[in-house]
Amino acid sequence: MPKFDHYIIIGNGPAGNSAAEVLRMHDDQARVSIISDEGFPYYYRHMLCEFISGKKKEDALKVKPASDYKEKNIRMRLGQRVERIEPETKTLYLKHMEKVKFTRLILATGASPHVVPSLSRFEKHFSFMSKYSDALKVKPLLSPARKVAILGGDLVSLKFAKMLSAMKKEVTFFLYKDCFYPFELTADMASAIEKHFSGKKIKTFADIFPSRIESKGKAFEIETENGENLTVDIIFCFMGMRPNINFIQGSGIDTERGVLVDEHLKTNVSDIYACGDCAQIYNPELKNYWISVGWENAGIQGETAALNLLGESKVIKPSQKKILDVEGLKVNTSWWKEL
Amino acid sequence: MDHIERFYIDEKLADIKKDGFLNYRSKELPTWCPGCGYFGITQAIAKACNALSLPNENICVVSGIGCAGRYPIFMKAYGFHTLHGRSVPIASGIKLANEDLTVFAVGGDGDMLGIGGGHLPHIARKNIDITLFLFDNMIYGLTKGQSSATTPLGQKTNSHTKGNPDSPLKPISLALAYDASFVARGFAGDLDGMQDIFMKAIRHKGFSFVHLITPCVTFDKVNTWDVMRNGYHPIHESHDVTDRIAAMRLAEDQRFFLGVFYQDEKRPSYQEYLRQIHSA
Amino acid sequence: MADIDIVIEICGSAGEGTISAGEILSRHMSSLGFEIMSFDSYPSEIRGFGKCVAHSRISNQQILSPGKYTDILVVLNDSHSIPQLHAVRENGVVIYDSQPPAYHEEDKSIAGWMAPGMIAYGIPLHSLANKAAGSARGRNMVALGAMAALFGIDEEGFKTSIMKRYATKKQVVIDSNVNSFEEGYVWAKKNVQKLDHLTFSKVKLRKVTQNRIIINGNQAVAQAALDSGIKLFAGYPITPATKIMEIMGKELPKRGGIMLQTEDELSAIGNVIGAGFAGKRAMTATSGPGFTLMTEMTGLAVMAEVPAVVVNSQRGGPSTGLPTKTEQSDLSLVLAGGSGDSPRIVLAPSTVEECYESTCLAFYLAEKYQTLAVLLLDFFLSNSIRNIDEPSLPDKKMLSANISPSKTDLKDYRRFQLTESGISPRALPGTPLGMFVATGLEHNERGKPAYDSKTHLEMTEKRYRKLDGILKEVSPPTWDGPKANVDIGVISWGSTAASAHEAVLKARKVGVNAAFMSSMLLVPLNVDHFVKFSAACKTILVPELNYSGQFAAHLAQYLNRPIEKLNRITGLPMPSEDIFEKIMEIADTQKR
Repeated sequence: MPKFDHYIIIGNGPAGNSAAEVLRMHDDQARVSIISDEGFPYYYRHMLCEFISGKKKEDALKVKPASDYKEKNIRMRLGQRVERIEPETKTLYLKHMEKVKFTRLILATGASPHVVPSLSRFEKHFSFMSKYSDALKVKPLLSPARKVAILGGDLVSLKFAKMLSAMKKEVTFFLYKDCFYPFELTADMASAIEKHFSGKKIKTFADIFPSRIESKGKAFEIETENGENLTVDIIFCFMGMRPNINFIQGSGIDTERGVLVDEHLKTNVSDIYACGDCAQIYNPELKNYWISVGWENAGIQGETAALNLLGESKVIKPSQKKILDVEGLKVNTSWWKEL
Repeated sequence: MDHIERFYIDEKLADIKKDGFLNYRSKELPTWCPGCGYFGITQAIAKACNALSLPNENICVVSGIGCAGRYPIFMKAYGFHTLHGRSVPIASGIKLANEDLTVFAVGGDGDMLGIGGGHLPHIARKNIDITLFLFDNMIYGLTKGQSSATTPLGQKTNSHTKGNPDSPLKPISLALAYDASFVARGFAGDLDGMQDIFMKAIRHKGFSFVHLITPCVTFDKVNTWDVMRNGYHPIHESHDVTDRIAAMRLAEDQRFFLGVFYQDEKRPSYQEYLRQIHSA
Repeated sequence: MADIDIVIEICGSAGEGTISAGEILSRHMSSLGFEIMSFDSYPSEIRGFGKCVAHSRISNQQILSPGKYTDILVVLNDSHSIPQLHAVRENGVVIYDSQPPAYHEEDKSIAGWMAPGMIAYGIPLHSLANKAAGSARGRNMVALGAMAALFGIDEEGFKTSIMKRYATKKQVVIDSNVNSFEEGYVWAKKNVQKLDHLTFSKVKLRKVTQNRIIINGNQAVAQAALDSGIKLFAGYPITPATKIMEIMGKELPKRGGIMLQTEDELSAIGNVIGAGFAGKRAMTATSGPGFTLMTEMTGLAVMAEVPAVVVNSQRGGPSTGLPTKTEQSDLSLVLAGGSGDSPRIVLAPSTVEECYESTCLAFYLAEKYQTLAVLLLDFFLSNSIRNIDEPSLPDKKMLSANISPSKTDLKDYRRFQLTESGISPRALPGTPLGMFVATGLEHNERGKPAYDSKTHLEMTEKRYRKLDGILKEVSPPTWDGPKANVDIGVISWGSTAASAHEAVLKARKVGVNAAFMSSMLLVPLNVDHFVKFSAACKTILVPELNYSGQFAAHLAQYLNRPIEKLNRITGLPMPSEDIFEKIMEIADTQKR
């Protein structure tokens, strides 16, 4: 590879970081940059709960110190948003009005909290727990809060509810089993959860959803479909994740739910790869695309994308359905029994 | 014999007193070699001062280092024996500080054209009203006979025993090129000629450059009194001293001319010029 | 009521109004009663499209150093500002143009380099300036407006300060500047969510009782020279002293004096010595390379006993060195430069106030003691802008200090008469009966060259005796802090002394038993005071801006003890923060 190569990774999560490390390990000449619109350095997302509960300090969230990047000569561009990709000129346009040129690009932008359409009109009342900045916002609100509602549609929400309950918060849990992420809940699973929550004194609504949410001073009023009214101090929404691909649209890179890539993690545009939660990967055996989830998968994919970018031809296999790894939370298919 | 000598000396003394030479001589005895041309120059300067009735205390003589550097010590006036090559800036400072003073900068060819040569164009450009006496004996005398900036090409000296490899500077041409407003040359053997030039130079309002040719009787066996006496010609009366090009032609002539080459009386001195622009 | 102490840097390229924005800010904050210390810098001596930084420390309390870390960086030019980021505090504020007319090329955008934790306020400087005045020239004013809105500076008063700055310009210029300011103010008020906690609005200010002037070190020297009756300034342009020459060129003719621009530094000091010989006050100003050339002449001033005042504003060396960087590495040169045993006066002011005071002293002492007085400044002090109380003018005694010969003296005048004080009555040219010849050769009482050992010894002793008198004329060194049982004594000089003083005050606040000493008069040095100070201190620390520790080495010969050193040659003024850290480090070691 010529010395003026510039490998850019968009995204500072596990996929992006493992890609950057692999690139640097195999090419000590090229420039390697990570661009992320998050201002906080690479952190353990699954620890955000412990962070807001005060169990973990800010420093404990960091996966590695800033010096690590300096030593490896990996340029960190944090708090910088890519607004547009121009594949023809291999240029990224950043929100702060800077053009950045790449020779090869890895998209590892991850995913963002998803809000089901039925709830989107209440979105402004919701708190999320998917990013460090969310946690920062939530932290000061949580300690004075007594009553908490969770609109739960994913694995993380279950863990979170448990944690809040342990913090002596009065938790109301709305379980969205029909649109659960990353897989649908069976009736067995749902009832196991309900049973489990009742033991923890978590009030669970399994089939009844909020029909109206309004802010009342600092608190929120929730009216349920069956006419029940409850007032809570804070509402969390966990509905799974959607790939962050908005900025890619219109660039000529094919997308559907995520960025479409082949089993080598290549996009339809040469020299551009995608991996981790933002990628939608083609499986030639299934003749279909699948979306990968989870920290560990992301890391493996980052590595694969990097090696392929450097000229290898590694194939990524769909992760087995039996063991799931969501936001650092490792679960197998009988996970609900261990809740 | 005693009687005759006595009589002779008394008569000579009366003579000297009449031309005012002693009025401007200090009690110190010159240390120059017997026969040195500097004696003549000293005498001519004193006579010119006398003729112009300059009060001694209003004269400042500034010198550098070299045989000519000692000159202020032998003159009855304020004197400043400064550093090698630096008489010009110090003389300039004195004049700028007190315009009532008559200021002379005195130095040899090493002092004024060698180590101090860099100051010459600038004092000329500025036209600060001092008179520069260049005592040019074409050799370093005080350090015993090395080539100077005016030693003729090929002349054998103590620093160049096979002959001086450097072409000599031409002081008159330089001064003209530098746009000095008064340029003249005198010969140490021509007292009257020198006195006439000096009076004009001192009266000139602006920078006056006076090139004085003198032999070094000790270290120069080529350019001797005899050679010099026959080698110089007075500038013809018809020469127009306001014509700088004509002056330059004279300066570049094969023959050596004596007298005033150039004088621009209309050009204001530095201090006059400053007064003009700041009062406007 | 809170205290405030913050550093604001405005960075842009020449022609963007960087320096004038800084100037307006400083003046305005000063008029409100804040203490200010500002410092403008250009990385190269040629401005062209070069980078400019206007650095201002603003506080409601005493300021002695420029401040190492930036609280607010105002970016008028992205690529120039990137290197300034390293000095911005972790949670510092960066104000930048969020809507430049075109995308920045890669790595040329300030936002691309900002560290997480910093607070960025993107203001559409370019478009707001265009909107306000139809051109982007007013970006600096838009930025000032945004700052006023963000940091609680009164809008109307600020506008008045802008109008004052452009008072001599056409109305359209004044209007477009004020309108641009207004545009920035309104936009920021409306659109920026304030994330920092910096504000000037709740600060308790001292009452402004006296007329305060805003002046830098060079201006203070020039003003003092004018107030001291200078008649000739001769100089050759050299950074960072040139400004003194320029001021003289403007002001001196108004007072009947002359500014002479010479062909070189040899001529500059030659003219000064000439004027001194003729009895007029004269000065030259240069930097290390020029002073090096002058050392032959400085020796002449001492030997021929002629007053001469020479300013050396130091820059990085050796040789041509770092023309636009500050350093204190000419000390050895100034203390001892030149041939022979050559006693001279050396004054090293540490603040802008002292620049004025020491210049007045230099003229007085040089004239009275008929010798060389060197004023040792540095690039930083020369360009450091302070608001100071109007200094008191030199008194009559200071203005006319030559000791003239009496009638009796003139009967048998000995210009270099051996006296107890070392001062021999000095006749000025024009005085009948006073005629003498001054010379750079060793000479007897009458000025006649004399090389015998007796004369040389007597005359050398006479020249050195002057130092005793000079020592008595100047107030003793500053000793701030306890007079005995001090843990850490910090001694410094020049601009670093001010930083050191600030560091010592700070250390004392946190309970460190520290004391401070500095002397404006470096030669003759008040050795007794330094020895007493040294005896009172467990550890002595000497911070200075040179590599080898020149002052520490100079002091060592008198103090005869180990000296801790803190040396910096970064080209920047000595940060009081660094000295403070060093003091704490020493305090720590002492505890163990």
